Amino acid sequence: MSSARLTGIGKRYGRHHALQSVDLDLSPGVTGLLGPNGAGKTTLLRIIATALAADQGQVRVFGHDPTTARGRVEIRRNLGYLPQEAGFPRGFTTFGFVDYLAILKEWTDRDSRHAEVRRVLADVDLGDLTTKRVQALSGGQRRRVLVAQALIGRPQLLVLDEPTNGLDPAQRARLRDILSTAAQTATLVLSTHQTEDVAALCERVVVLDGGRIHFDGSVAELVASAAGRVWLAGERHARARHAWRTGTGLWRNVGDPPPDVELAEPTLEDAYLLLVGDHAVELEMEAVS
Amino acid sequence: MTIPRPDWHADEPALRGLLDGTVGPVFAASLESHVMRCGTCRDQLNLMAYDETLERTWSAIRTTVQAPEPTWLERFLRSCGLSEETGRLLAAVPAMRGAWLLGVAVALGFAGLAAVFSGDLGTGLFLLVAPLAPVAGVAAAFGGDADPAQEMVVTTPYSATRLLLLRTAAVLATCAPIAMLVGLALPGPDWLTIAWLTPAAAGATVTLALAPRFGFTNAAVAVGAVWSVLTVGTTQAHHPTLLVGSVGQLVCVVLAAIAGALVVSQFRSFDLPRRQP
Repeated sequence: MSSARLTGIGKRYGRHHALQSVDLDLSPGVTGLLGPNGAGKTTLLRIIATALAADQGQVRVFGHDPTTARGRVEIRRNLGYLPQEAGFPRGFTTFGFVDYLAILKEWTDRDSRHAEVRRVLADVDLGDLTTKRVQALSGGQRRRVLVAQALIGRPQLLVLDEPTNGLDPAQRARLRDILSTAAQTATLVLSTHQTEDVAALCERVVVLDGGRIHFDGSVAELVASAAGRVWLAGERHARARHAWRTGTGLWRNVGDPPPDVELAEPTLEDAYLLLVGDHAVELEMEAVS
Repeated sequence: MTIPRPDWHADEPALRGLLDGTVGPVFAASLESHVMRCGTCRDQLNLMAYDETLERTWSAIRTTVQAPEPTWLERFLRSCGLSEETGRLLAAVPAMRGAWLLGVAVALGFAGLAAVFSGDLGTGLFLLVAPLAPVAGVAAAFGGDADPAQEMVVTTPYSATRLLLLRTAAVLATCAPIAMLVGLALPGPDWLTIAWLTPAAAGATVTLALAPRFGFTNAAVAVGAVWSVLTVGTTQAHHPTLLVGSVGQLVCVVLAAIAGALVVSQFRSFDLPRRQP
């Protein structure tokens, strides 16, 4: 069953097309959005989260229309949203900030609200820092406070814009655990630049570039698209679209391989680089023609 | 007479249900009767009741220890009869903090001093600043940068209109006493102490009415600019109190009424998703 359905979504900022004719169905489970900077990921997530209105197309979340007041409220009652950039009001403690958002999320009973705030802070391993001022926390801790507020009330739709940004590997692994648990009963859509997060967490991946969807399928399908296009060699190859020297001293080349080379198992990152690179080539061809 | 020992024991879900009061009355009576005769089940029930009591106690301790320490502003608002929740919603606004209120007090204080020592020019300065303090407060209470967590706040089900009006009322309630205190020191007629209230209300309402189209900050700047031009003009013409005289009051009341009607008609627009980032 579809939790959110976007049809023909378009969004412009002046002359710039941030999104063009985007169709997307989101179902329970984890969907990862990948794309270069400026691809339209944040705009798309903000539209799903009712923070931004689309210029064109239709959005339905749990069957509700966000252009109506009642629809927006119903969507927001089942929504947890982590924006890409967010600040904190001055003077709030960790507990106070999450409590502030919990009040806005209609948790009116003080005891149950405080219990919920404690739960989400414990989930992101901040249970010992509840009385600390947010301004005194590290960047990673602040990010986890923002993740905590998104988890209030176990929402059915979680929209997370770069949730692992600024987290160390252990914290990222812990967050993956939390998010994968949440996704058992909810629809989770997240954007990230970390392909390993997508590979580890998402059953579905959507690649956006230039405001359009260029791939929508499983992680395995995206990885398979790079089969036969990654090879190891003693040097950077001229035909490689991307190449880097690995820890073993060999060069990992990604592109169209010459004959008789040692092919390597592609990763999600290889496939993503090829997909985005292929799109860039298509754009160049269009520009030339 | 001896009571025979029962040859069965109640399972944990049944005893838990008895403690929670979730089992039916007939089953509960049967269980109670059994527990009275069965030492094993009685011990088990005592243990579970002890766990429950312990958990409730710890929960109460955690609630007390981890509950956010209210700021002085939140404590003050609660002493004024507002709920803890309302106090927290207001405490997030820069226009409700000590630094802002101190700034308003200093600006009005200087204007009041100028009025005492410089006559018309000072009175004009006071009448320039006093009505604009609430207008600036409204912009600071709900403008784009007013709440750093705004992006999250707008995606909660809490009514943006309600939040806006709540914060606006709070800003007006904090600015007004400061300006009235300064107004008491002004030379001239007594009514001058409160005469600025009508243009202040008109300015704040017009700002709210223009905000959905132009944004809070732009609307406040436009209102401030118009008021400044008018005040400077009347002061230079040696009639600094002209704008707050009977005709000025009437104009402000009409303006506030029209703007108020516009605000009411636009209530829904405050809850709309933004068109621009």
